[in-house]
Amino acid sequence: MKLLIIEDEKQLVKSMAQFLRQEGYVCEIAYTASEANEKILLFDYDCILLDISLPDGNGLKILEKLREKNKADGVIMITAKNSLDDRVKGLNLGADDYLPKPFFMPELNARISAVVRRKRFDGNNKIAFQEITVDLLAKTVMVSDTEVELTRKEYDLLIFLLANKNRVVSKNAIAEHLSGDDAELLDKFDFIYSHMKNLKKKLTEAGCEDYIKTVYGLGYKLTT
Amino acid sequence: MRLLQVSLRSMLLYALVLVLVSIPVSLFSIREIINEEVDESLALHADQFARHIKNYEYLDDLDLDLRIWDQLSYDIVLEPSKGELTDKQYKTGSMYDSLEQEMHPFRALSLPVVIKGKPYLLTVYHSLVDNDELITALLIVQAILILLLVSGLLLLNRALSKKLWEPFYSTLEQLKAYELDKNETISTQKTNITEFDDLNKTVGHLTERNRQVFLQQKEFIENASHELQTPISIFQSKLDNLMQIQGLTEAGAATILDLEEAAQRMARLNKNLLLLSKIDNDQFNHAEEIDLSKLAEGLLSNLRPMADLDVISIESSFAPLSIKANLTLIEVLLTNLFHNAIRHTTPNGKVVVEIVDRKLIVSNTGNPLKMNPDKMFDRFSREGNGENSSGLGLAIVKKICDTSSFGLDYSFHSGIHTFSVLF
Repeated sequence: MKLLIIEDEKQLVKSMAQFLRQEGYVCEIAYTASEANEKILLFDYDCILLDISLPDGNGLKILEKLREKNKADGVIMITAKNSLDDRVKGLNLGADDYLPKPFFMPELNARISAVVRRKRFDGNNKIAFQEITVDLLAKTVMVSDTEVELTRKEYDLLIFLLANKNRVVSKNAIAEHLSGDDAELLDKFDFIYSHMKNLKKKLTEAGCEDYIKTVYGLGYKLTT
Repeated sequence: MRLLQVSLRSMLLYALVLVLVSIPVSLFSIREIINEEVDESLALHADQFARHIKNYEYLDDLDLDLRIWDQLSYDIVLEPSKGELTDKQYKTGSMYDSLEQEMHPFRALSLPVVIKGKPYLLTVYHSLVDNDELITALLIVQAILILLLVSGLLLLNRALSKKLWEPFYSTLEQLKAYELDKNETISTQKTNITEFDDLNKTVGHLTERNRQVFLQQKEFIENASHELQTPISIFQSKLDNLMQIQGLTEAGAATILDLEEAAQRMARLNKNLLLLSKIDNDQFNHAEEIDLSKLAEGLLSNLRPMADLDVISIESSFAPLSIKANLTLIEVLLTNLFHNAIRHTTPNGKVVVEIVDRKLIVSNTGNPLKMNPDKMFDRFSREGNGENSSGLGLAIVKKICDTSSFGLDYSFHSGIHTFSVLF
């Protein structure tokens, strides 16, 4: 799967690319708007990560150009200015998602997976991991042939871990993903712990192997 | 007291003193002049009469004629004398006027004359103006003068203060109403008065410079917050890379987690600072109809699971309330108030959220404040160590209430903190 990162901050690009390559994506990089324009004309990407403020132009212009050419590339806007205006403009221009800086890498990964899935499989939207199968449209989870009843938070948690499989996902990233701004109230992470405990219990009761490992105090890792 | 009134008062006082002093002075001098004139005319009259009589010395029975004439004449008396008086003598007196039935003052000149070798005393009378009448007339004139002077000055003063000082008062009004954080400039009108033009120019200069500095500072805060987002992103992404390293030790993992928490605090702080400066810059000006009860219920239901962890119960009772405001701001306002209530509730406590009339009341059980309640809404003032608090939540609440003209109140009674917002 091919990604284009349009971002002028070299250090950020470096760690994003490193992270996404580990996830098995092919990453191309454009540091400026003109580089980006050239690349989007020549190639098709599964997902474009677009920083709105670039040294030589507004990222929204790139989005416009993309839509003029009728390109179907998925676009996630990334911006330091968390402004409602830009968000509305971007989404109206056909961006698929919007991620304000600073963000957690697992969050970025989950958003990319969601966009890519939506673009790739219309109608048949399923994730499978060993004996676990998730139907994203019906929002159902099956372990082998048994359906598992999950609460919304537990479901979100599972999808998040599945998008970041084989990686350590920190508690902070999970808390932010599950409860957004309310995460700042969670000081002891008991909240995540209780959801995680319930999720693991429900999965193992349905006959699933325990794939979710605790990594010291740091976080969790979904791995075989 | 107004400046014009001060100068007017001194002017009036001076005029009054002047007029009062002028009454005796003019009275005295007028009388002096009249007396002098009267004396002169008396002397002339007497001399001419004496010379005139001398022309008739050839008459034999002049003596008898003079006696008859003396009886007939009214203001001249000529009588034989024994020669006691040798020189002119003036005298002032008064006599009864039977016609007007009152006393009249007069001036008389007595002069010794010799007619046909016999000494005579010639006395010429001249009626004087009544002193009392003179004073009365003078007083009336001066009183009218004072009246005209005072009323004239007052009228002039009023007209002046209205016209002449109008630009000054307009500038003053604008300065009183001036607020640095409102995007207004002071507009002055051109006058022909040098002082006012100077003042207006200086005031305009000063406020404009202050505004510029203020704007620059605002811009700086917003830019700084923006610029910080990217390095924080880099920091977080590098931490994530570190986490994936195989064979991470437990101590290493704990350090990474601490770093991540610090980074997140930084990110939140930054986000809140940015929010504050955005509210300052009036970037949330789009107002819409909001069902407050529904919004509050939605936000509370997200918080219930977290409150449950500390065994904090959340009670709510909402009367339907719909307001016209910016949705983002109202969401932030409610979220911050709810977060604050939950954060400062002791375990097993209770948070009560109510909407009554146009008022939202958020109360929670908790310990009495250690900080001064007046400082509560200041930036970066925290209760306790506030590890998880940015110290900006209530400052943002205050800012939103100020810019949207909502009333915000805090009170503490018998172990219950209460915040209320009047929409």
